[in-house]
Amino acid sequence: MESIRVESVIKTFGSTRALDGISLCIEPGELFFLLGGSGCGKTTLLRCIAGLETPTSGAIFFGEREVTKMPPHKREAAMVFQSYALWPHLSVGQNISFGLEERRVPKPEIKRRVEEALEMVKLPGYGDRSIDQMSGGQQQRVSLARALVVKPKCLLLDEPLSNLDAQLRVEMRREIRRIVKENGLTGIYVTHDQEEALTMADRMAVLTRGNIGQIGTPEQIYRAPLTGYVANFIGETNLISGTVIRREDGFATVTTPAGELTGRITATDWSPQTGEAVQVSIRPEAWRLLPQAGDNSVTGHIDERSYLGQRIQYWVATAAGRQQVVELNPHLIHEPSAETISLHVRREDVVILKS
Amino acid sequence: MKRGTAITISIIVSVLFAVFFIYPAGMVVKQAFEVTRPDGSSHFTFEFFSAVFGNPIYREGLWNAFTLGIVSTFATLAIAFPLALIGHRYEFPGKSILGVLVLAPMILPPFVGAVGVKQMLGVNGSFNAFLIDCGLMQAALPFDWLANGRFTGIVLMNALHLYPILYMNIAAALANLDPAMEQAAENLGCPPWKRFFRITLPLAMPGVFAGASIVFIWAFTELGVPLVFDFARVAPVQIFDGLKGLDKNPIPYALTAILLVVAAGVFAISKFVMGRSPLGTAPRPKARSAALVLSPLKSAACSGFFLAIFLVASIPHLGVILLSLAGRWYGTVIPDVFTLRHYTEALGNGLVVPSIQNSLMYAGCATLLALAIGLAVAWVVVRSDLKFRNTLDAIVMLPLAVPGLVMAFGYLALSQEGKAFHFLVGAGGSPFLLIVVAYAFRRLPYIVRSAVAGLQQSNPVLEEAANSLGATPLRTLRRVAIPLIGANLAAGSILAFAFAMLEVSDSLILAQQAQHYPITKAIYTLLGTLGNGTELAAALGVWAMVFLSVAIMGAAVLGGKRGGLFKV
Repeated sequence: MESIRVESVIKTFGSTRALDGISLCIEPGELFFLLGGSGCGKTTLLRCIAGLETPTSGAIFFGEREVTKMPPHKREAAMVFQSYALWPHLSVGQNISFGLEERRVPKPEIKRRVEEALEMVKLPGYGDRSIDQMSGGQQQRVSLARALVVKPKCLLLDEPLSNLDAQLRVEMRREIRRIVKENGLTGIYVTHDQEEALTMADRMAVLTRGNIGQIGTPEQIYRAPLTGYVANFIGETNLISGTVIRREDGFATVTTPAGELTGRITATDWSPQTGEAVQVSIRPEAWRLLPQAGDNSVTGHIDERSYLGQRIQYWVATAAGRQQVVELNPHLIHEPSAETISLHVRREDVVILKS
Repeated sequence: MKRGTAITISIIVSVLFAVFFIYPAGMVVKQAFEVTRPDGSSHFTFEFFSAVFGNPIYREGLWNAFTLGIVSTFATLAIAFPLALIGHRYEFPGKSILGVLVLAPMILPPFVGAVGVKQMLGVNGSFNAFLIDCGLMQAALPFDWLANGRFTGIVLMNALHLYPILYMNIAAALANLDPAMEQAAENLGCPPWKRFFRITLPLAMPGVFAGASIVFIWAFTELGVPLVFDFARVAPVQIFDGLKGLDKNPIPYALTAILLVVAAGVFAISKFVMGRSPLGTAPRPKARSAALVLSPLKSAACSGFFLAIFLVASIPHLGVILLSLAGRWYGTVIPDVFTLRHYTEALGNGLVVPSIQNSLMYAGCATLLALAIGLAVAWVVVRSDLKFRNTLDAIVMLPLAVPGLVMAFGYLALSQEGKAFHFLVGAGGSPFLLIVVAYAFRRLPYIVRSAVAGLQQSNPVLEEAANSLGATPLRTLRRVAIPLIGANLAAGSILAFAFAMLEVSDSLILAQQAQHYPITKAIYTLLGTLGNGTELAAALGVWAMVFLSVAIMGAAVLGGKRGGLFKV
């Protein structure tokens, strides 16, 4: 178990800057997620940590050991690749034993540990199979076993579930988290799937264009996003522009084209001044449809509706633009109409963001 | 670190190439432009070129070589293109076997084949005897099928020997076409023959030009076949004949320089002007086009065409085999008396056994050397991010553009007493190192191409995975990269080995003493020996044939995609 520290790492490819001075610290035993859209630099950062890319500048530490220039084979950071990267010329067992052989582990111990590893990923007795006899989900587990069997200091996972179907993906999320926690590994997990990150992560970093947008626990990031980008990337949100008219311990009231809204100030390094232009973020499920106006509410009419089974999604036209509203297990289904309706939100569920 | 290794490899390979390839070739060119005075000073001159072009014999020799090259290339194309197209488009009985059989010419050194062809189609050969027996020809007036100053015979031999190279190139080009391209044309209402000219042919053009340029260079500088046909009025033979008085006569240098310029020009045109792929960086096709099943009559015609080509291409082989078994054979369809005497006698001949050992040693060491260099080059080309890598890839392909004769000539000149390569000449004048280096650099393109193809197809993530599991770069290469491309490497190596065994120019020119002769020179020497020398040569040729067919079949099985090995 080891901490991983990344200090102002910059990585450029030609004229494009994939990582623009990233710093973060991952605690020992933590399952840390790197999250972001494609091209945000998350995989590049992971590959820098694995040693498959060398940062243009900056430093990376495993514990107290600097590994920035260390070749990958000396880092003891086992990686699980998106494409699994299983060697087709070796059997399942040979794939798993590879890393142990490279570490000159005695033969009988290799045999035992390979069996244990297969056991752990729920593939006992599959050692003699060839790789192309395995299904996608099985291959995924073999690649996990191959990385885990060497008892690495940390486990690096590059979108390991992106090639699996939805059901298997949900199942494997729990499996991977269990295995990482049982083995006490420090894990770094790259994904673009926010649901995966929210359900599995201890903490996560949202990356945007080579920079860190926000670091925090899933709850912190969902409940208190620091920017509109983060709010939109993790879950969906309605953003309304407005101007601060009042402030009171941790809350601010903002005037918007649709009326006044009060919300929390979540940022630690910024506090809006009266008269400052800000953005207000309201999650679709935070809006409540009410027949008449009340406290902290705006008015509009239902424009569009989609029925999604467990929930229902409305688009409500207001003076501040269309608002997305989600109701879970509603007792009443509204039809789109020109009739005026009111949207109410608790002030704890409104986040005031720097614009 | 990876980048450092790549830079080191690039530098080493470039230096090796400069020393063992560009320097000898350049030396030949320089000698052609330099006159040395008795006092030892030298200056630039065009006088050798004016001597060459002023002399009708040399003019004729160059013209003959050029027309031989052109006519042979078109003859080769006429055989290879229909074969490749039919094989690509249609399904017919025996397709897989016939597809291998038409590669038969590759197993016989062309100049040995020429001996067989003479036996079969000469004035007193089998074919005329057959026609006379049938009453179709008067015995007193035999027809010379190889007439016209033996020009026809050489073209026939070149075409029969070289069409497999073009066939494999075109077949590979066609196989790499995305079937969706043709299907799209079909879908838009384009009939089959129009589709061929508007879509298939333009897209296959790089393959055609790549193959045709190799064939041209080969035929243009062919030494063995004209020698066997006693056709002295062709530049390569004139160079060979001029070797003895090399210190006094600079004409061979000038001739060689002209061959080099023409060959390199053709190569450059084919590669950079005509052969530019219109596909650019289009992704590899995912699907393969399904061959069409024809009506029984038409598919029988396809099989018949392949079989006919195979039979015609086997004439030289048949001639050689019959000759090796002939007790007495003159003016009859098949030998009057059959015997195995030549085989037993060949084993006792002082030239034969050492020549086999020599050839195995030369070709084996050359292949290992080429494999080591080729693998390193391929790794840099495919896996590094050096800007230089494309240049490196082009450099190592150059040996295809430079005639073997030019290289052999440069090596010979440089290995003289007091010259730069004299250190390569071993004790007792052994040309071992000289020949190994010459063979290795000439065969490098085959190995590089197959290794590059292999590495491109294998995902670098597989190597990164090994790295992240604690394997050093060298161990990764040994345990993951090489096993994954093993088949490609084996195929390239076998081909390089087979061609080295068959090599003519370097062998004939560089091996000067009988105990150092490789197989090809032993055969050539036996051909000139009185008595049963020709039959002994044929027996040795049959052994070479058997050996090479095994080697090439192995390469085909391992390589899978046969054509890829010959792509320029």
